[in-house]
Amino acid sequence: MDSFKQAFDLLFSFDRELLRIIGVTLRMSFFSTAVSCIIGLPLGTLLGTHSFRGKAFVKKLINTLMGLPPVVAGLIVYFLFTHYGPLGKLNMLFTVRVMVVAQCLLITPVVTALTSSFVEERARPVIDTAKGMGLSGRKTLFLTLSESRGMLSSVVLNAFGRSIAEVGAVSIVGGNIQWKTRVMTTAIMLETNKGNFSFALALGIILLIIAFAVNAAASFTVKEKSDG
Amino acid sequence: MVKIENLVKEYSGRRVIDIKNLNVNDGEILAVAGANGSGKTTLLRITSGLMKADSGFVEAQGKILFMPQQSYAFRGSLKDNLLIGLNGKDKKGEVEEILESMELKHLSDKKAVSLSGGELQRLALCRLLIRPCSLLLLDEPTSSCDARGTELVVDAVKKYVEKHGCTVIMATHSPIVAAKCADRMIILNDGGIEADGEPGEVMNDPSSEWAKSFIKDWRT
Repeated sequence: MDSFKQAFDLLFSFDRELLRIIGVTLRMSFFSTAVSCIIGLPLGTLLGTHSFRGKAFVKKLINTLMGLPPVVAGLIVYFLFTHYGPLGKLNMLFTVRVMVVAQCLLITPVVTALTSSFVEERARPVIDTAKGMGLSGRKTLFLTLSESRGMLSSVVLNAFGRSIAEVGAVSIVGGNIQWKTRVMTTAIMLETNKGNFSFALALGIILLIIAFAVNAAASFTVKEKSDG
Repeated sequence: MVKIENLVKEYSGRRVIDIKNLNVNDGEILAVAGANGSGKTTLLRITSGLMKADSGFVEAQGKILFMPQQSYAFRGSLKDNLLIGLNGKDKKGEVEEILESMELKHLSDKKAVSLSGGELQRLALCRLLIRPCSLLLLDEPTSSCDARGTELVVDAVKKYVEKHGCTVIMATHSPIVAAKCADRMIILNDGGIEADGEPGEVMNDPSSEWAKSFIKDWRT
């Protein structure tokens, strides 16, 4: 109970460092979710609606990447962006941008696989019906997205949930630098290592509150639209 | 005219369509009968362009409309469903008329997802019949309909053909639909055409032993 009290006290104390950590967490999660969805939603739709040579291999590859351990993803991105790595000249290591890159490596396969299986099973009747009505490709796509918004929003929220809760990759490439790349999960890890368990738990509760608020807001938006 | 030549489609090594030659004339209503898995749906999906054949070709000119076996209810009311992709102001009268003809007018402001299976199937047909086309493909359009619903569908298809002069290819499991609606009927067996002719003729005097046995089972 102390942790709950501490969590609310901390949240409403408007502590500058905590607000900064929340800000970085939301910024990182928003951009990694957005980029993953920009890549994964069309790719998943393509996989779900088209047959092509090597499709089975691509699906297996994506399923394998879904199980990629976050620390391995972090390590790959670290080697890519370290000073002697192929992208070292970009000087992006230990920034929020490279944390977004690492998270995209983890989340894009999830978005792609979920979208693909959804489109294969659930969107097929919408596409067939729309095409059967003689609608153009653009109108069919619009109708499919409109009919699938509930499911697609759950894919996006799933991606956001993965992003906001991830710790392994972001701690490797972000370095958990105070005021710069520290996010909720790496802050929790730090406080736990320091032995501040109740403070770490308080941060965990705040993380849950943020995740719940984002989910509730998204669900509300989707419901509002579908009711209208 | 719809021309189909040397059409072949296989699934996992099993040949589901193997049609050497099939021509359907303008304004003709062709019923396609056959047991489950005989290739009816595959034939319609290839003709509609939703599926590619392994070889052979289908030649069909003009606008093609296709009603899939599983009817789907889009979000919104029945009216909204009918007006998808159309100009609402131009079609208002037509929407009312077509819903009336299918005895769905009293439900026009209800949500389409609340319809029963038979009502939804009639709505799915309405969505097509409000648009002109040169080839109408219907995959078991009365499978969920009761006797009255079947009658309404048959009448609506016949009126549509009279009005637009289009060709209709309709997969059906109903001898009544084939007899009442179609000008011609084919029976598919393992993807090939087993019988072809005027419905009464095919049903009363099947050309092969297999067709005779199928018709006997079909009628019962």
